[in-house]
Amino acid sequence: MKISEEMVKEIILEVMGQMQPPASASAPASTAAPVPLNLRETGDAVVGKDKNEVVIGLPPAFGNTMTQTIIHIPHQDVLREVMAGIEEEGLKARLVKVNRTADVGFIGHEAAKLSGSGIGIGIISRGTSVIHQRDLAPLQNLELFSQAPLVELETFRAMGRNAAKYAKGENPSPVPVRNDPMARPKYQGLAALLHNKETQLVDRHKSTKELALA
Amino acid sequence: MVLIAGVDIGNNTTEVAVAEVNDRGEATFRGQSLVRTIGIKGTMRNVSGIIDALDQALQPLQIPRKELAGVLLNEATPVIGDVAMETITETVITESAMIGHNPTTPGGMGLGTGITRSIADLGTASTDQEYIVIVSRETNFQLAADLLNQAVNRGVRINGAIVQLDDGVLIHNRLSQPIPIVDEVRYVDRVPVGMFAAVEVASVGRSIEKLSNPYDIATLFNLEADQTRNIVPIARALTGVRSAVVIKTPRGDIQERRIPAGSLTLIGDKATVQVPVDEGAEVIMDKVDEVQPLTEIRAEPGTNVGGMFETVRRVMADLTNQPVGEILVQDIIAVDTLVPQQVQGNLAGEYALGNAVGLAAMVQTQKLPMQMLARKLQEEIQVPVTVAGVEAEMAIHGALTTPGTKAPLAILDLGGGSTDASLIQESGVVRSTHLAGAGDMVTLLIDKELGLDDLDLAERIKFYPLAKVETLFHLRHEDGSVEFFDAPMDPRLFGRVVVMSELGPQPLPVQDPIGRVAEVRRKAKEKVFVRNSLRALAGVAPGGNIRLIDFVTLVGGSSLDFEIPKMISDVLLEYGVVTGRANVRGSQGPRNAVATGLVLTSAGTGYGS
Repeated sequence: MKISEEMVKEIILEVMGQMQPPASASAPASTAAPVPLNLRETGDAVVGKDKNEVVIGLPPAFGNTMTQTIIHIPHQDVLREVMAGIEEEGLKARLVKVNRTADVGFIGHEAAKLSGSGIGIGIISRGTSVIHQRDLAPLQNLELFSQAPLVELETFRAMGRNAAKYAKGENPSPVPVRNDPMARPKYQGLAALLHNKETQLVDRHKSTKELALA
Repeated sequence: MVLIAGVDIGNNTTEVAVAEVNDRGEATFRGQSLVRTIGIKGTMRNVSGIIDALDQALQPLQIPRKELAGVLLNEATPVIGDVAMETITETVITESAMIGHNPTTPGGMGLGTGITRSIADLGTASTDQEYIVIVSRETNFQLAADLLNQAVNRGVRINGAIVQLDDGVLIHNRLSQPIPIVDEVRYVDRVPVGMFAAVEVASVGRSIEKLSNPYDIATLFNLEADQTRNIVPIARALTGVRSAVVIKTPRGDIQERRIPAGSLTLIGDKATVQVPVDEGAEVIMDKVDEVQPLTEIRAEPGTNVGGMFETVRRVMADLTNQPVGEILVQDIIAVDTLVPQQVQGNLAGEYALGNAVGLAAMVQTQKLPMQMLARKLQEEIQVPVTVAGVEAEMAIHGALTTPGTKAPLAILDLGGGSTDASLIQESGVVRSTHLAGAGDMVTLLIDKELGLDDLDLAERIKFYPLAKVETLFHLRHEDGSVEFFDAPMDPRLFGRVVVMSELGPQPLPVQDPIGRVAEVRRKAKEKVFVRNSLRALAGVAPGGNIRLIDFVTLVGGSSLDFEIPKMISDVLLEYGVVTGRANVRGSQGPRNAVATGLVLTSAGTGYGS
């Protein structure tokens, strides 16, 4: 079956139309988009020497043109929980902005390569995330959270905790990941739009930058 | 010249040896095979496995099955064993007396005491009182730290905190004045408010010192001598943990309760003794030794042990078409073990190690089923089938084909269900014994002690050495040696404890560090095989004295284990006994001893002519 652009747009509009009412009814707070994060670039990202750090890689739109995940978790809370998970295990979190791609695997891998411990986390704006290790191929992973609509606040905390445990050489049990066959039909259109928005700020020629969270 | 096959049906494997026998009665071995036994040893279900094993042995020789002149079965007195675990103690907390658990990351360190108070009520806390603050999941770590700091600034003395979520380090990092914080207390709402409590956190890599000592608890809580006696179980339960809370409640108490586990009646030739299972394995085994030789063991009906015995007997009766009443349990081995058990009335999902007794029971039946099996096999393959010799005797004849052996010789047959021993004198007289408990029991002990609830996994832990994957390019074996790889390993192995199987490293879904897994495995093997080897050898040794045996050869599947032969060898050395693994026919290792022995003894009785 051929799918034309018009058909896709139609479907997306329809899906969006269906999603709008319950979203606004159940969570009134989420209708007002959270404010952008105060993420400041502090120069080119360098490979860390600290064995006790986990690097979190973010795409340029994160906390910037986009401020919440596909299920309306504010990016501020995402970062707070991931970083709390790392801190609770006694490690440090470092943030970098990966400019040249919007692919979660490559962002995670870039973060891992910059990390002194060799462990990195990639999180893209809609919530899809990965725990990565520098010796792996970009499309491999230690743990993958592939369905953004199922990545919740607790998942982000656990993600940070597990990444820190890998960095310590411990043997964490993988974060339980739910699988919902309906997530795809329900969110695919929205995810496509969000991906479109994500890629707008990607610049293939721009290097990865160090970020400071004010 | 005729072709004959010896078939050994074991608890776990069926082994075949094929040989040509000339008219002088000399056998030339041509092939062998090994398959998994189908069904319980010595029952009708074995037939398909035997046929499969015969075909596998004959296939490389390009000889059809019907050209065999005869098939010889061992007179396998069917032995089935069952293993069960009986927990005999449990820890019970009445009211909220203590929390002692091992969250990996508590906050701060040291000891703090005070009156418990919810963080929500901290605003009204008085400044001339010392407090332990309770933080439930509604208060996030940032807010909790802010509230604690505000109270401290106001002059409230806060000496410790009990936190529901995994927030201990996070809160501690945000405090102006450090306090010990115990976190991951799941049922924090059960912690009573307004009670005197003590919180202790040890530094990384250490365990708490004060709250694990009854006299320190007595000092902190102003206890009288008889009250101190009551808190001894608390102190004991808190030994070795990194963080703990003890709360004084009016009737708070912790007890170790014994669970009635039934009793065993050991009927020997000379005496009959009754022994309660909850006395522990040592006592049971002492009594077993006392009443040797055993004729029957009965278990108290209506108890767990009784149920286990009943199952064993009923299964055996069904399989052999004999009345249940004729089937007797003839041997048991009991092993003490510790089983992780959820503490009753716990506050944080605490586990305590309960004492348990592992039991393996063995049933022996008559020869009748073996004849039925032989007839069935003969019908199926149209080759004469005979039941040709007692297993233990055959095993020793097979073992004697090991280069460098001669009678007198003792063998230990370390199998899956039973440990057997036999001894051949220079005169050719053979004595043998069957004992309950072998490889399967080791698997059960590993499963229970690590709390796996997965026998396949336990089997793998038993069978293979362990290693820890440290990076994707190297792993560290349990002996500390490092192995490097050119290509990166599968990411699923990263950081994991793995077993080194033939297929390469396989990850184990266990949380325990590699050292503990290895220790549990070794202890389990020692408890079962070392004890049973000594029991079995004492049973066949002249006058029951193991020192009078010079050489012991190990045969059977479990002697292929990577550490059991060494364990047995080490302990037998104390008796001056030289131990070695058999090499049947100079080529088969410890396998195929019985099948080889069957062929050899039959050939000697003029099969070829």
